[in-house]
Amino acid sequence: MTISQVTETAQQSPARAEVLDEIRGMLEKVLDQYGLDDTEITEDTSFHDDLGLESIDLVAVAAMLSERYGEQVNLAAFLAELDLDQVIALRVGLLVDFVVDATAGR
Amino acid sequence: MIEVRGIRTHYQRMPAKNPRSASPPVVVFVHGLGYDSLASFYLTLAAPFAEAGMEVFTYDLRAHGRTERPATGYRLSDFVDDLTELLDLNGIHQPVHLVGNSFGGTIAFSFAARHPGRVRSIVSIEAEPATEPWAEKMGRTLEIVVAEMDNEENLRWLAETFGSHHARLAKAAAAMIRATSIVEEVPQGPLLSSAELASITCPVLSILGSEGFQSDDLTAVESLLPDCRTEVIDGQNHSVLVERHRTVRDMVLGWVNALHDRAAA
Repeated sequence: MTISQVTETAQQSPARAEVLDEIRGMLEKVLDQYGLDDTEITEDTSFHDDLGLESIDLVAVAAMLSERYGEQVNLAAFLAELDLDQVIALRVGLLVDFVVDATAGR
Repeated sequence: MIEVRGIRTHYQRMPAKNPRSASPPVVVFVHGLGYDSLASFYLTLAAPFAEAGMEVFTYDLRAHGRTERPATGYRLSDFVDDLTELLDLNGIHQPVHLVGNSFGGTIAFSFAARHPGRVRSIVSIEAEPATEPWAEKMGRTLEIVVAEMDNEENLRWLAETFGSHHARLAKAAAAMIRATSIVEEVPQGPLLSSAELASITCPVLSILGSEGFQSDDLTAVESLLPDCRTEVIDGQNHSVLVERHRTVRDMVLGWVNALHDRAAA
């Protein structure tokens, strides 16, 4: 593998399905703390209404995302641009979009 | 997590990005009582402030968010002591900009009265210092919350009007009230004397909703303090921070930057 190939690989953003899997794992970890681990998580699952999570849980997810993908995946900065009702209506799919976009520029 | 006065305390720091000076401003966000947590600041103001070159620090008050919930110890002085030790343990000794939402603002004023040298400025969002009228208002509000919190009809109304999210938050706040002496202790203060109020000489920015908790007299906070400016957000109720976070962000960024530039000049 040449250096340019390595760089090219590193610049590729992770596939959508892969990101969804990662986020699912993070959410399951958060749900585990509440003893809720049997919820099916799809892109359509809403963070607050379906999973019953609160904004303080988003803080935990933000930390897990930046740990996994690096500092450029800054969920707090992304959510700061949304309105309250958009944050309350947040679906897993939007988190996936956000991670795919934020990692695309690497 | 860090142990503060025997209580496991959840806090978050965001370092300043591309700070404009060797000692960037330190901004400490203090959230409010009940169904509030550091998330209200973390998900709104924290990242833009770090981005603007400021050191950001925020934490969950005792019994809130991810911080432990002791059965007792909820006088205002307990919250002030917690903040003092938390800053000490994190090595934050320079004067900070305290940004407090609702009860978080009340904590900020009492902290400033106790440690004037540690506060560069206060931004008080829908908040007031701990005076006799504050204690009465707080006591009344908490009495209503306690009287209504077990009413299933109210929870149903909340869920139907604002969504299940709000009903769940109300249930969580009710659980906190049942498990602790928070309702009895908070209004006890201790309250600030006139001399203590006069000792809060740092610049204060009071941000109020025209329909918020201070709507009966929007100049009351300003008149209590030596150096306070008021900004009123029209048509807004008590939820100024979360519902108008972009407006608040611009006001507070401008406020901290102006003070910092003036100090540097």
